[in-house]
Amino acid sequence: MSTIFECLDLTKKFGSKVAVSAINLKIERGQIVGLLGPNGSGKSTLIKLANELLTPTSGTILIGGKKPGIETKKIVSYLPEKTYLNDWMRVHQIIELFSDFYADFKPERAYDMLKSLNINAKDRLKTMSKGTKEKVQLILVMSREAELYLLDEPIGGVDPAARDYILQTILRNYNENATVIISTHLISDIENILDYVVFINQGQVVMTSSVDDIRNEKGKSVDGLFREVFKC
Amino acid sequence: MLSKLLKYELKATGRIFLPLFLALLMFAGITKVIAPIGPEEWATPATISMITYIIILVGMFVMTFIMMIQRFKNNLLSDEGYLMHTLPVKPWKHIVSKLFVSMLWIVASGIIALISVLIITLEKGRLTKIIVGFADLYHQAFEQWGASIYVLSFEIILGILVSLASVILIVYASIALGHLFNQHKMLASFGAFIVLSTLSQFLFTHIHLPFGTAYFSNLHDIFSSPNDFLVTPAAMQLAIAYRIISTGILCAAYFAVTNFILGKRLNLE
Repeated sequence: MSTIFECLDLTKKFGSKVAVSAINLKIERGQIVGLLGPNGSGKSTLIKLANELLTPTSGTILIGGKKPGIETKKIVSYLPEKTYLNDWMRVHQIIELFSDFYADFKPERAYDMLKSLNINAKDRLKTMSKGTKEKVQLILVMSREAELYLLDEPIGGVDPAARDYILQTILRNYNENATVIISTHLISDIENILDYVVFINQGQVVMTSSVDDIRNEKGKSVDGLFREVFKC
Repeated sequence: MLSKLLKYELKATGRIFLPLFLALLMFAGITKVIAPIGPEEWATPATISMITYIIILVGMFVMTFIMMIQRFKNNLLSDEGYLMHTLPVKPWKHIVSKLFVSMLWIVASGIIALISVLIITLEKGRLTKIIVGFADLYHQAFEQWGASIYVLSFEIILGILVSLASVILIVYASIALGHLFNQHKMLASFGAFIVLSTLSQFLFTHIHLPFGTAYFSNLHDIFSSPNDFLVTPAAMQLAIAYRIISTGILCAAYFAVTNFILGKRLNLE
């Protein structure tokens, strides 16, 4: 297994506030990884650093051995925690945009998913609810055949039924060589699909472990362990 | 990738500008049609249509300015930036696509405004008169200056475009510099704009003047016959070329600042 995601003494400060503090982390290819931590623990910051939306204060972040840039953006499919789509476009226009810029985008896959979620490709985003917009974004992101999916709170704003569909979608659309990193604090909902977990708190990695180890050795669920580690 | 960016930039802005252009031309037409009809009962509608025309005209130019700022700030440095900056595209292409499209709409607005004025003021024979007038002007200029008026016109157009680019790029650089601050980004952008324009002005006068004076006094020796001092096409061409180059250097500096910040100092929160 080769490393797809690596942090070396990665630090990010906003003014005097430290969001990510000297993180060292290695994630191997071919697994679904939960990036788990309470609100404000640095999950989003870490993912944004990987997408070059934030510039590290110090340290390095590597995607497939490369620093974030054009080459990494070609292989990373990123779902941000906020809506990044402009209001005036229609869904099919955004699908065209993704097809234009990402060589690994599969429009037919996107249209299939839209259909099963009853979203009309001719609708404007302006007329959609927040939850529907989030679904559209996830569909776009999962319609790429990327090497690394970085999903920031993919199920935060949608109803439980859609949550199940989204998780199935993630499982269905990712191939063996791809890696999915999901950041969330809703652990019980996703713990069944995770292979590996990274617990993060106050900008530091508290623990990394395979889910099997947590279950077999500690005899706990990921959710149970999370509640124990992050007990207030 | 640049052509694709241009395509999307045109789509995003065209949906605002094309209806504006259409509305402006329509109201110019309406004003033209109803203004000359009977003085009494048509006075109010004619005034209303004229006022609407003027409001759209002013609105159109204000819009070019707002769009120039908005497309850069919202599309690259706000939520939409999450998408734009995760596309596999180099930052300079984003800047160039926004710059070109902004310039295009400003030039197009000018042309449309000119056409609308022509529509309103046009009377039978007026257009021919204007064309004849231009032809006369052209002949006179040609007689006096010869073929160098082509070079001169080309230079003037280029000069206008470079100046336009420098205005847009100083705004981009200011917004990008403001983005470096953790708080009060808008205020910081304003500050950056004031600093940048003062600095550019300072450099302009201090670099321009010594060169310029030396150069113009030199010219003075060459062309010092009383009639055509400084009005010789060669002198004009050189003066404008000088202006184009110095403005071009400023453009390059603003561009470099913006590109560096978008590429190496991006912090979308």
